[in-house]
Amino acid sequence: MIGFFILCLMIHAVAMALPGVHRDDRKLNRAVNLLNTLALVFGLIFSLSSLLSSQFWDERWLLPFVGRIHLACDGIGLFFLFTFQLLSLAGSVYAIGYLEHYVERGVGIRWHLVSFTLLILSLQLVVVVQHALAFLTAWELMAVSAYFSIVLEKNRPEVRRGGFWYFVATHASALFLYVFFVMLHERTGSWDFADFASQTGWDSGTLALLLVTGFIGFAIKAGFMPFHSWLPHAHPAAPAHVSGLLSAINIKAGIYGIARIFMFFPTGPQSFGWALLAVASISAIGGVWYALAQHEIKRLLAYHSVENIGIIGLGLALAWLGRCVGAPGLVALGLAGALLHTLNHAIFKALLFFGAGNVYVYAHTGDIERLGGLAKTLPVTGVSFLIGAVSICGLPPFNGFISEFLIYKSFFQGGILMSVPVPLVLLVAAVGLAFVGGLAVACFTKLYGIVFLGENRLKLSAQPGQEALSSFPVLIGLAMLCVMIGFAPGAALRLVAPAVSEISGLPAARLGAELIAPLGALTLVFGLLLALTLLTLIIKVWTQKKVGVRLRETWGCGYQSVTARMQYSASGFAEELLRLGQPMLGLKLRWKPIAHVLPEPRVFKSHCYDQIEERLWVWLNGAIGRALTLLRWIQSGNIRHYVLYIFAALIIYLIIAFVW
Amino acid sequence: MVTFASNPGSWLVFLTLLVGAPLLSGIVTKFKARLAGRFGASVLQPYFDLVRLARKETVYSGSSGFVTRLAPVVVWSTTAFAMLFLPVGPFSAAISFDGDFILLAYLLGLGRFLQILAALDVASSFEGMGASREARFAVFAEPIFFFTFGSLALVTRHFSLQSIVSAIAWDKPLFPIFMVVSSISIFFLMITECSRMPVDDPNTHLELTMIHEVMILDASGFDLMLYQHAASLKLLLYAFLISGLVNPFGWLNPAAAMALFVGVLVVLAASLAAIETLMARFRLVLIPQFLLYATVIGVLNILIFTFSH
Repeated sequence: MIGFFILCLMIHAVAMALPGVHRDDRKLNRAVNLLNTLALVFGLIFSLSSLLSSQFWDERWLLPFVGRIHLACDGIGLFFLFTFQLLSLAGSVYAIGYLEHYVERGVGIRWHLVSFTLLILSLQLVVVVQHALAFLTAWELMAVSAYFSIVLEKNRPEVRRGGFWYFVATHASALFLYVFFVMLHERTGSWDFADFASQTGWDSGTLALLLVTGFIGFAIKAGFMPFHSWLPHAHPAAPAHVSGLLSAINIKAGIYGIARIFMFFPTGPQSFGWALLAVASISAIGGVWYALAQHEIKRLLAYHSVENIGIIGLGLALAWLGRCVGAPGLVALGLAGALLHTLNHAIFKALLFFGAGNVYVYAHTGDIERLGGLAKTLPVTGVSFLIGAVSICGLPPFNGFISEFLIYKSFFQGGILMSVPVPLVLLVAAVGLAFVGGLAVACFTKLYGIVFLGENRLKLSAQPGQEALSSFPVLIGLAMLCVMIGFAPGAALRLVAPAVSEISGLPAARLGAELIAPLGALTLVFGLLLALTLLTLIIKVWTQKKVGVRLRETWGCGYQSVTARMQYSASGFAEELLRLGQPMLGLKLRWKPIAHVLPEPRVFKSHCYDQIEERLWVWLNGAIGRALTLLRWIQSGNIRHYVLYIFAALIIYLIIAFVW
Repeated sequence: MVTFASNPGSWLVFLTLLVGAPLLSGIVTKFKARLAGRFGASVLQPYFDLVRLARKETVYSGSSGFVTRLAPVVVWSTTAFAMLFLPVGPFSAAISFDGDFILLAYLLGLGRFLQILAALDVASSFEGMGASREARFAVFAEPIFFFTFGSLALVTRHFSLQSIVSAIAWDKPLFPIFMVVSSISIFFLMITECSRMPVDDPNTHLELTMIHEVMILDASGFDLMLYQHAASLKLLLYAFLISGLVNPFGWLNPAAAMALFVGVLVVLAASLAAIETLMARFRLVLIPQFLLYATVIGVLNILIFTFSH
């Protein structure tokens, strides 16, 4: 089986080499992405069959200069490998058609193809290396290749700006991870993940420091609030196939890291669980509320990733708490919910971003207020985007519901297991999740209703573009996955079961009985629901055929000259809800009231500032800059001073060396 | 584990409820008319209306697409399906599993999602306004449901509606308080979700002030019938949630229990009518505050539970 994976990596390598020998962008695009697709098919054969047969793979390779590198596919690694490969496959196929449009516009994509392939390759490497230095190398490769993939249109200033946000964030993340792994190496004398996990007897101070640095490092990547600020900048900047993968799998590397933290520290303090719960709740509520305020499709979707990372974090927090109170059942519930939501979010978020890509291609804009009625002109995108939107709101019978249901269940399970006042806290968190669900419904009805339904709001400026044919199988396939996981949750849970059993310590048989079987029975419930719906539909169609259907214009209250611009706008739809969150959101509304009998043209502007970005990161950046200006006198620019510095440093070093 | 009731009675009750739902709306309307000193229409009037709608031609807006055609079906089937989770009087719920109240809330959420989309589909600013209001109030209504049923689940240590209701014992201390508090918060929820006064006025004729009615302004014929029937099902659903909490069948003899059970339903219908007669509609900006009051009542249970330990 491992042969398939090695074959997969080798084909990726060939795909990366192709742009070096060939120069025709159009052919290169097809060749490289088809090779990647082929590679990922082989990769999926490996990961899926190993995952389902629980065949794990563990090897140590001796590399020159580096030493022994531990490579392994355990349950967690395999689950993430599967997720990454599945969505990379979707991304590669989508890219074939989507990059065509860049080729037509004369944007050079040769190096983009190299970095995109490297991104897919390095993401797979990240989850199979079990050696800290190799992990950091793969992590860095992933970070840098993602940066180069984002800045495809580097001539546009907003793309460079978004890319820069990503670049800084990802290196801040790497910085914390260097500290984390070096500290682990200091204490264990090894770089091997297995040795980290077997180390016991941490003193509480070190443990706390390790947990904080490790968590912050991975949380920046995952996009937990308040470390989320790079997402809404980087996603709109990137081309749709890259932003889809960024949200679907790149940020999930952070979740993978946090799952590894679970493995490294089997006994951790309960306070970490509570901190995680708090951060996750803030991410979930903050993410969705900010998403509601956005006017740009991809920016809105990026904030939604923050929300969903928060939901995943809630599951992880419950799993951590379960471990602290010695309840493996709770660990399994929370973790299964979190990991399944990781897969689910990857699927529907990629679907939504790819759908948004088709909207861009068609309308050349992502401004929600300017769009409308696209479900009629882009039917495939319209229907699959609707399925994605329903799934992301966690509504049954789609996949988002299954994972959120598991997380709800873990809240109530935790409430029963732990003593007062924990139930109160967990109930408030569960209600928080319900509140997030309500806001998500508001947010996606706004997005879908305004962009895809109703009438087109503005005349499209340029010639409308064509949806690429290669996007259809991707959108339809991802939408079907949303439906399938919803209707057959048992099968999907089998994918997360090995990872859950590794962390919770529950044997696979008990997981099957306690976790998979109860949810597997939902298939029948949803089947009945579907049958009832279809029956109603048939009766309706039959009756309407008998008594007749007529087409007329919309009821306009007697007003005759209705125009498309009189439809409800996205800002109007969201305004009241946003006003309630105004102190948190930094919502700025600017307009002039109409004062005279014959009013002049008026302008209304609403803009939502990200308070965390403005108040924390921009401020911090300024503060660091100001602090460093105090040291500016050192940099005189005079070469003699620098020679003096070197000399002084040498003397100080010698003195220390002698005295020591 | 999902339990499907083996007793055919549970499934028959489901069918009976589908047929009987408009009766409750009829009774409320009748009470309302009598309180206002009018004689009022027959309690069967909702049935006549539904039949009339079903026999009428459906008019679709030229702007609308597949969502408008799909939404009434989904709204109706999700609401109807949610009834299967309810224990009704002496009959156990047709379908019951741990966490079924979560599915119930989310099923209603699915219906609402499509109803909001259908409202936005016809490209009218009236419907858009209604859609926006519905989305806004749902954000506050969902927490009330989860606070109430979540705290009941934690108090009774059971996770399905059927077992929560069976675990209610009136002789245990504090339980009467829990039940009364929960009933009040579900009643508030019922007023909001079923578009009753003082949140929404089902009889208003001004588009600008409506919530639920304005969303279905462009629905007609069979579609409108489905919407109207789903609305009456929803009213019945919340009424049964409240009367289920009283659960007299555990501690009274069957005849008395049945009388109490029906009595609770009639009292609910009467109090809805009384509120609609005595109160005016709230201004829209006040509705979130009203819902927050209901949320606070929902929190009371878990606070009592926490501090009584």
